[in-house]
Amino acid sequence: MTSSLRLKIACALGNKAGLLSRYLNRGRGETLTGRVILALYPKAINELAKNRDVVLISGTNGKTTSTSNLAGILSEFTGEGVSTSGSGANMPAGIVAALAQEPRHRLAAIECDEMYLPAMYRAISPSVVVLLNLSRDQLHRTGEVRKVAHLWHETFTKDDVTLVIDRDDPFLEYAASQAGHVIRVSFGGRRHSDGANCPQCSKILDWSTGNYACSCGLGSKLADVRSDKNLRGPQRNSVLIAEAARLMGAEISAADAQVLLDDSPDRVSQFDVDGRMISTHLAKNPESWREALAGISAQQVILSVNARGIDGRDTSWLWDIDFASLQGKKVVCTGERRLDVAYRIKVQGCEVVVAADISQALSYFPTGVVQAIASYTAFQDLSAQELGITKVQGGQK
Amino acid sequence: MTLTIVRLYHDLLGTYGDQGNAEVLCYRARARGIEVELIEVNPGEPTPRSADIYLLGGGEDGPQLAALEMLETDGGLKYAAAGGATVFAVCAGFQIIGGSLPGNGGGTISGLGLIDAQTLYPKSKRSVGELVIAPTRGGLPILTGFENHQGFTKLGSEMPALGRTLSGVGNGFAATEGVWHGNVIGTYMHGPALARNPELADSVLQCAVGPIAKFDDEFATAFAQERRQTLLRK
Repeated sequence: MTSSLRLKIACALGNKAGLLSRYLNRGRGETLTGRVILALYPKAINELAKNRDVVLISGTNGKTTSTSNLAGILSEFTGEGVSTSGSGANMPAGIVAALAQEPRHRLAAIECDEMYLPAMYRAISPSVVVLLNLSRDQLHRTGEVRKVAHLWHETFTKDDVTLVIDRDDPFLEYAASQAGHVIRVSFGGRRHSDGANCPQCSKILDWSTGNYACSCGLGSKLADVRSDKNLRGPQRNSVLIAEAARLMGAEISAADAQVLLDDSPDRVSQFDVDGRMISTHLAKNPESWREALAGISAQQVILSVNARGIDGRDTSWLWDIDFASLQGKKVVCTGERRLDVAYRIKVQGCEVVVAADISQALSYFPTGVVQAIASYTAFQDLSAQELGITKVQGGQK
Repeated sequence: MTLTIVRLYHDLLGTYGDQGNAEVLCYRARARGIEVELIEVNPGEPTPRSADIYLLGGGEDGPQLAALEMLETDGGLKYAAAGGATVFAVCAGFQIIGGSLPGNGGGTISGLGLIDAQTLYPKSKRSVGELVIAPTRGGLPILTGFENHQGFTKLGSEMPALGRTLSGVGNGFAATEGVWHGNVIGTYMHGPALARNPELADSVLQCAVGPIAKFDDEFATAFAQERRQTLLRK
């Protein structure tokens, strides 16, 4: 059998398996599709990426929304179709499934898990890699920020790809410091909570100007793009994505860019729980919890925390977050690790009760506006049908 | 009297949430009517020599060595510990207060030497997961935390461990976990350890202020029990 025929069969069987999985209501099927393809044709990613223009998107926060945002922008501004997964399946199985979709478009926007980025970069030979941000996340699995930054630093050593980075993040600057082509976007500088010392030389970083400087020279390269200092995480990601789209041929005017920025997707979903609309923010690590807390205006708040694999099995990170903005509000904690978060905010002077599940949590708030923040799997649980909860709208503001 | 608690370099040694130990100590001391002052020491600032409790947390390798170098040069922590101050040190902080630990590029460097212990990097994979220990001293219940470290720490023969490892790795030698020598306590337990183990938090306070009143901390008790029961059932 020729190898192209073998690849064709592998993709056909993989897509069938995915369809079956969706039919049996076992999720969206990409991972199963991808596993079947990779089992039958281990080099499928290399083959499927040939002669295509792929953008890889990685970073701690905002990968999934940024990837679907980029796919939308590329198809709008180039008029071409774009292959993408858009569902958050960002390990090899999910990536091969996205590349195997029919029709196979020339352009592809692919989300990539931080730890798999080196392998996927080598297999895919992307045109552009967007590094959104890097902060502590799932320490039991991915390891510390400096380890991830070093892994990337050792990966991008050639001039065969263009990186788009937020240069205000010292870990990304270090990751890109050996790369040939880098578009550095600056948002005017901001203190990085993991950035006490230099990722390159370990000396204490000087943050006195609001931006980092080090005697080893890290951070001394000028920014190529200067953007607004007051942007929040999702908006900063939109700016990076627009730069990547430009590199791929999208002609985005300044006015268009402003519209894209104003429409930045964030991770708020609306859930209908027993007839009540609950706006819920997905947050999975200290940085995204800080963003989510900044968006809490209601007086009635539900916090839901689990500690399954993708949430991070160690909940210590809850103590990295300042919850002072919840003082004076009514807070109910739920999820499998409700006591972890309840005690953390109690120590910070918040009034708090715990509830076994989201329906019980809501019973504390018979009327009025309720906002929720949920960790990754707790967020997925909110969509669980057995609770009678329907996700009305998600992913977009 | 005001109880002074020093949180050392939490920007460098706060990767694993251990800065929460300071908040828990302040909270539990104030609940007993004890006045507390929390002093933050940042890189480049001098360490007070006459505080009551000094806290060190876990961090990455580079920041750990940077912190050690500054503590060695400053001398404040060593001075205070020699005078009987209470020290509670977690993970990278626990390694720092020992006699030696791995330096940059495979060599060994001297620690602060507050306790007799040597940290080595074994070839085995990183120790990551829930840790459950039976404390060596009477009066404390089973303690739990989350460990995430590469190093193994061998205690000197005169050094009592904090506890015996029931599940997880701990120090990596002879089922020991942590150390409790005089007023110096070290451990690999994150969580933070003093949030997950309120009785241990009170032990740290008692090292500094002597006997303290009982305090019904509803969520802390429920949290500690939930962790113990869940992990012992496994």
